Amino acid sequence: MVRRVIAARVADAATVDDLVQETLVRVLAAAGRVEPGMLEPYAIVTARNVVTSQWRERDRHQRNQHRVVDLRPSAAVDEDLLAREERDAVAQALTRLSAQERDLLLAHEVSGRDTRSLAGELGSTAGAVAAQLNRTRARLRVEYLLSVEGVEPPTDRCRPVLLALSGGDRRRQREVDAGRHLLECGSCARLSQPLMERGQPREDEVRVRVESDADIVAARQAARELASRLGFSRTDLTLIATAVSEIARNIVRFAGSGEVLVELLEHPHQGVRVVARDTGPGIADVERALTDGYSTYDGLGLGLPGARRLMDEFAVVSEMGRGTTVTMTKWRTGR
Amino acid sequence: MSGPKLVSILRQGPHLIASIHTALDDTEMERFREDLVEQIGRHRSRGVVIDVAALDVLDSFGARTLRTIGEMARLRGAVTVIVGIQPDVAFAMVSLGMDTGTVATALDLEEGLAFLEGSGARRSGAGRIGAPAARAVPR
Ligand SMILES: [Zn+2]
Repeated sequence: MVRRVIAARVADAATVDDLVQETLVRVLAAAGRVEPGMLEPYAIVTARNVVTSQWRERDRHQRNQHRVVDLRPSAAVDEDLLAREERDAVAQALTRLSAQERDLLLAHEVSGRDTRSLAGELGSTAGAVAAQLNRTRARLRVEYLLSVEGVEPPTDRCRPVLLALSGGDRRRQREVDAGRHLLECGSCARLSQPLMERGQPREDEVRVRVESDADIVAARQAARELASRLGFSRTDLTLIATAVSEIARNIVRFAGSGEVLVELLEHPHQGVRVVARDTGPGIADVERALTDGYSTYDGLGLGLPGARRLMDEFAVVSEMGRGTTVTMTKWRTGR
Repeated sequence: MSGPKLVSILRQGPHLIASIHTALDDTEMERFREDLVEQIGRHRSRGVVIDVAALDVLDSFGARTLRTIGEMARLRGAVTVIVGIQPDVAFAMVSLGMDTGTVATALDLEEGLAFLEGSGARRSGAGRIGAPAARAVPR
């Protein structure tokens, strides 16, 4: 898709530039009362810039070339057709934005207005305007992807999750439980790939798919490796790795499959957070599962209560038929 | 199987010295248990040293498997001693609330062999970590 988008852009770049220059003046003069037909050329250029900058970045990292948005370039490609398809997708994505969102985005991306002057006009702050612009770009990327892929989100939770991923907002991702949704929803799992590969790969988190014995070892080693970057003591690293081993084993034994996400925290202290999710049957009685000696499999039953003792914070959320999420944290200076 | 060996089991007189060279997953740990118990029978071994110095984690499954090996070996007439548990690993085991049960432990291979030579069936020559009294986690 990167090549298709760029090729389509190059094909009519001169025309588009002319068009922008010519009509920009009129739009600015119209100041908010722009006819829809007039707005569209700008909107499309803007949207393209926003969208393609994302994929250019991705292309540079040369990651996952085979993923959904990479429609292989071919000599037989009809550039007009591609350009039309893309324009349609962008136009449709733009209709999903509110008029206010669209205006702000255009003023910034097309007219080159900086956030401070926009803030002055809106009676807001530059920071708030920048945040709003980021949210709008994130939405545009989501809507563009949905449109170009021809996907209608199967659930109400899909859009909020995709938005949180697109915006790279980890707090919001936690609020909407994005990780769990991706385990449950095939459509979003597919779309999440291009959304999450925006920009540099994250240095402060690691995600391990857990479905076999070997994955238990991989998860605890990944956790140790990541946590070691914060300068945890060897003893703490071993406690963290052991706790991860226990909860990863719970996934393999009880749920069959799931994932372990390890992330470094800077606030309120430095620390490491481990989130283990599965789509298993769930735990009927969490309190009991946290009790020493309780075991539903042929083991010591130390999985959850054991891991809890090794970490500083520990929480289990489980829903019958949907699965279990264990969140545990170790602070570097917590004691 | 290719690549470096995960474990080795060597005969030394009436004893077996089993060394775990790298992190084992649960399946590999169970295979190790089976191999070791089989060799105890085949060689009529009187003692077994299991060297776990290379392990950076001994979680509940790992500890339970070692305990099972020790108990199976005992039923087959051999004494088992586990050596080389790293200090951090020992601390994590205590924090986790588990121990090696009735299986003896010693600091290193040399002390493990000395324990086997000196004790036979005796159980008090080497220490045990994580006995119930030690469960309170030092913080
Ligand atoms: Zn979804």
